[in-house]
Amino acid sequence: MAASRRNTSQRLTLVILILASITVVTVAYKGEARQVISSVRNGAGDAVAPVQRGIAAVLHPIGNLFAGMAGYGGALSENQRLQIEVGRLRRQLIEAQQAQEQLDQLRLEQNLPFAGGIPEVLAEVISSPSSNFDLTIEIDRGTSNGVGVGMPVVSGVGLVGSVISAGEDTAVVQLLTDPRSLVGVRFGNGIVAVAQGQGEGDPLQLQYVSEASVTYPGAPVVTSGLDIAAYPSGIPVGTVASVRHTGGSLTSQVLVTPLVNLSILQYVAVLQWLPPA
Amino acid sequence: MTLRTWGRLGLIALVAVFVQVGILNQIVVGGAHGDVFLLLAISAGLVAGPQRGAEMAFALGLVADVFVQTPYGLSSLCYVLVAFAVGLATGAMNRRPTLGFQVAAALLGGVGGTLLFAGLGTLIGQPSVPRHQLVIIVTVVAAGCVLLANLACRLLEWAVAVAPGAHHDAGVFAAGSAR
Repeated sequence: MAASRRNTSQRLTLVILILASITVVTVAYKGEARQVISSVRNGAGDAVAPVQRGIAAVLHPIGNLFAGMAGYGGALSENQRLQIEVGRLRRQLIEAQQAQEQLDQLRLEQNLPFAGGIPEVLAEVISSPSSNFDLTIEIDRGTSNGVGVGMPVVSGVGLVGSVISAGEDTAVVQLLTDPRSLVGVRFGNGIVAVAQGQGEGDPLQLQYVSEASVTYPGAPVVTSGLDIAAYPSGIPVGTVASVRHTGGSLTSQVLVTPLVNLSILQYVAVLQWLPPA
Repeated sequence: MTLRTWGRLGLIALVAVFVQVGILNQIVVGGAHGDVFLLLAISAGLVAGPQRGAEMAFALGLVADVFVQTPYGLSSLCYVLVAFAVGLATGAMNRRPTLGFQVAAALLGGVGGTLLFAGLGTLIGQPSVPRHQLVIIVTVVAAGCVLLANLACRLLEWAVAVAPGAHHDAGVFAAGSAR
């Protein structure tokens, strides 16, 4: 009898908690509640940021100590330096190729927007996402430093993503590889498309690429900056990894490898540029 | 549950926040890291049984969701189901869970909880995670749960005031019936 009553009570509790959870998800999905939760999340991010910075400052030297003990310290720093150098050279190559293509089109087009000259805010990456299911990073600059929601985020090599949430002292950046990330891009001979993330470590997929479009693996891909695009024009995004024409389809499947290694970001720059309303 | 239990659970949740954002988030393996809140939800089921475990897991989920960008409440829903299932399995043992049982529950809870989160997320419109990445996430989360299961259980035992080593029924269900 007592066991039966206990079972009933347990089931009732479970049902109530499930309904409560579903209610929270539903209520928090849009409207004012969503803004409140966003504010709470930003506030919480600001609150734990000093601890994150402190722990990161403690963990980095420890990591380096172990690396040094193992005799890899020199190789590690050399490797990092070379990676940065390779990144710079790749960016220069892509920019040069893109500049050539743009020059070819300058006779036809005027008033091309460029990413250069946009003021930027340098920031340190202080945390990876707390959830394995969202591809974001947290940076140590917020609204008090001029960072706002929607601003593009770049590294020395190319596009990283955009700010999706900003607290006073911290901000959350959605990475290019997040499946919710959509970037208007241009490649080849002025072909425009939308690059969508496909998850951690996977290439971006270009949408709406006509089968008649001509491109080749290795072709540079930059932001298009078209009309009401979320990014200014000319920021290097990646290179075409593969092009596949599927029979019976009007579009090609084009994959793009991001230029930036998003798994080892330490410093980024927020471009103080907002998409047109 | 008593105010003292909720207070202690709040303290544990606070520590868990710093462990998650300060330490676990920095230890990334293949793009994935451990999930201390899922571990606590599993431990709540192990230590406090299905009913109280689910209540604690619900509260832990609300805290965890403050620090992620996924839909608010999704973690709560997932943790409630995991804690309840673990609690039921533990109750069926009719004695305090052994270390082996804790490890098995942490492993299955870690795998099940992660898959549940991914599935529920997709169901409510979150972008799905590529299968190979999901395998990595499940593996890393489950491994983290297994490694830290005993420590988390001890913390939860302190929260619900079950003496370490006490019989599960005596500790949990007697306390539950005294409410």
